[in-house]
Amino acid sequence: MIYFDHAATSFPKPPAVVARVAECLTECGGNAGRGAHRSAMRAAEALYECRAEAADLFGASSPERVVFTAGDTAALNMAIKGSVRPGDHVLISDLEHNAVFRPVHALAREGKITYDVFPTYAADPTASTDRILRGIEARIRPNTRLLVCTHASNVCSVVLPAREIGALCRRHHIRFVLDAAQSAGHLDVNLGQFRADAICVPGHKGLLGPQGVGLLILGEKTELKTLLEGGSGVRSLDAEMPPDPPERYEAGTLPLPAIVGLREGMRTVREIGIRGIREHEKQLWWRLAGQLKKMNGVRVMVPNAEGSVLSFCADGIPSEEMAAALDERGFCVRAGFHCAAIAHRTLGTPRGGAVRVSFGNENTTEEVDALTDAVRELLTEKRKFL
Amino acid sequence: MSGIAGNAKRAKDGVCLSPIGSVTQAMHAKDVLARSGIYVSVVRNDPSQTRHGCAYAISYPCEEERTVRGALRRAGFRWRGGGR
Repeated sequence: MIYFDHAATSFPKPPAVVARVAECLTECGGNAGRGAHRSAMRAAEALYECRAEAADLFGASSPERVVFTAGDTAALNMAIKGSVRPGDHVLISDLEHNAVFRPVHALAREGKITYDVFPTYAADPTASTDRILRGIEARIRPNTRLLVCTHASNVCSVVLPAREIGALCRRHHIRFVLDAAQSAGHLDVNLGQFRADAICVPGHKGLLGPQGVGLLILGEKTELKTLLEGGSGVRSLDAEMPPDPPERYEAGTLPLPAIVGLREGMRTVREIGIRGIREHEKQLWWRLAGQLKKMNGVRVMVPNAEGSVLSFCADGIPSEEMAAALDERGFCVRAGFHCAAIAHRTLGTPRGGAVRVSFGNENTTEEVDALTDAVRELLTEKRKFL
Repeated sequence: MSGIAGNAKRAKDGVCLSPIGSVTQAMHAKDVLARSGIYVSVVRNDPSQTRHGCAYAISYPCEEERTVRGALRRAGFRWRGGGR
C-alpha cells in the first residue's frame, strides 16, 4: 500500500509515537488533575510536557495557553462560537473547510450573526496578498468581530498570507482565528508572528499524533465563552468553570494516550525540521504536477501552488471512480469534495469532484512515479472505451 | 500571565506550601523553578484551606521562599495577597 492521504490523517505514525501511546496505555493509570496519587501526577506531568512542547512550537506565551480539544473541528467551534456575540459580523475566506464554514453558517442561520466570504483569488494567476487584503477591507463592517480562515487549503496547497491578515485584523480590532489544519507540521505557524488571537490545530495530521486530540492555542489576552462545562479537577465547589485556561476550556477527562502520542509526534516533526519537511513535499508536488500536466485531459487544480496537497480532475472519469481504481492498484488517495464545498466552488471543480493526493515526509519520488504510471494506465484503459 | 500563586503557608518541618490555581499552573511553576535549580513538589492543597474546593500547591523548603517568588514572578506568575 502506498499512502497519499496525509491531509486526511497521517499514516503510518512514527515508531516513537506508537511506542509512547502503547507505554501510556499499559503504564499510565491515573487521570490528570483528578487527584494527587503518583499515577495521577505522572499523568498531569505528561499533559504539561505536551502543552509546553506545543507552546514552544506555536509561540504561545505559556503552556497554560495551550488547550486540549477533541480535534481541530472542536477547537474551531470553541474559538468561533466562544468569540461571537449576537449581532456580530464574521469574515471567512472562500477556501474554507466545513470545519469553519458550517459553524459560522449555523450561527447565521440561527440569526445570531451575519457573515461574508472574502476572495482569495486562488484560481487566478494574478492573485496577490494586496488583492486579498483589499477584499477583506472592503467587507469589514463596524460590527465585524471575527475573521477566521484557513492557513493552507486542504484542496490545493494555496497558503493565505496569515501574517498580513493578522496585522490587518489587529489594526481594525477584529479577532483573528487561524485554522492550521493543513499547515501545522508543514509550515511555520506562530501565534505572535501572525498576531493571531487563536490558532486551531489537529493532532493527527502534520503533527503525526494519534486521532482524538487537537489544540486550541490562545493568545495572551484571548478569552472565550465556554462551550462545554463540567469537571475540571479544580475549584470543585464552584458552580462556574475555573477562570483561567486551560482548565476553563477542558471540561471532562482528557485523552492522555492521544496527548502523549501527540507530544512524540511534535518532537519527531521538530527533529526532522519543518523546513526539511516542506522542501521534501514541494519536491514531490512538482514531480507529480509535472507528470500530470503532461497527460491529456488532466487538470491540476491551482497548478503553481506547491505544497503538501495536490488535487486533479481527469476528463470523463469521476473522481470516485479514479480513486477506487487507484485503490485497487494499492494507492490511497481521496476523491470528492474533501469537506470543502466553498473551496471547490472557488476552484471551479467539476461535478465529479477531484482526486486529492497529499504527501507526508515518508513518501518518496519513486512512489510518486508509481502513482503517475497508474494514472496514465487508467486514462489509457478508460479512453479505449470512450 | 502564567498563573496565580498564593502566599506560602508553613506546613511542618520547614516545608512551605504555596497554593496555585490549577494543576497546569502548578506543573508550570515546578518546571520554571527546576530551570532555576529549585526542586519543588506539586501536591493537593487541603480543601479546608480554600473557598473553592479542590486545589493544588507547590511544596518547597521555606528557606527558598524568596527565591521561589522571584523566579515565578520573572516567569509571569502573579502573587495573590501581596506578600513579604
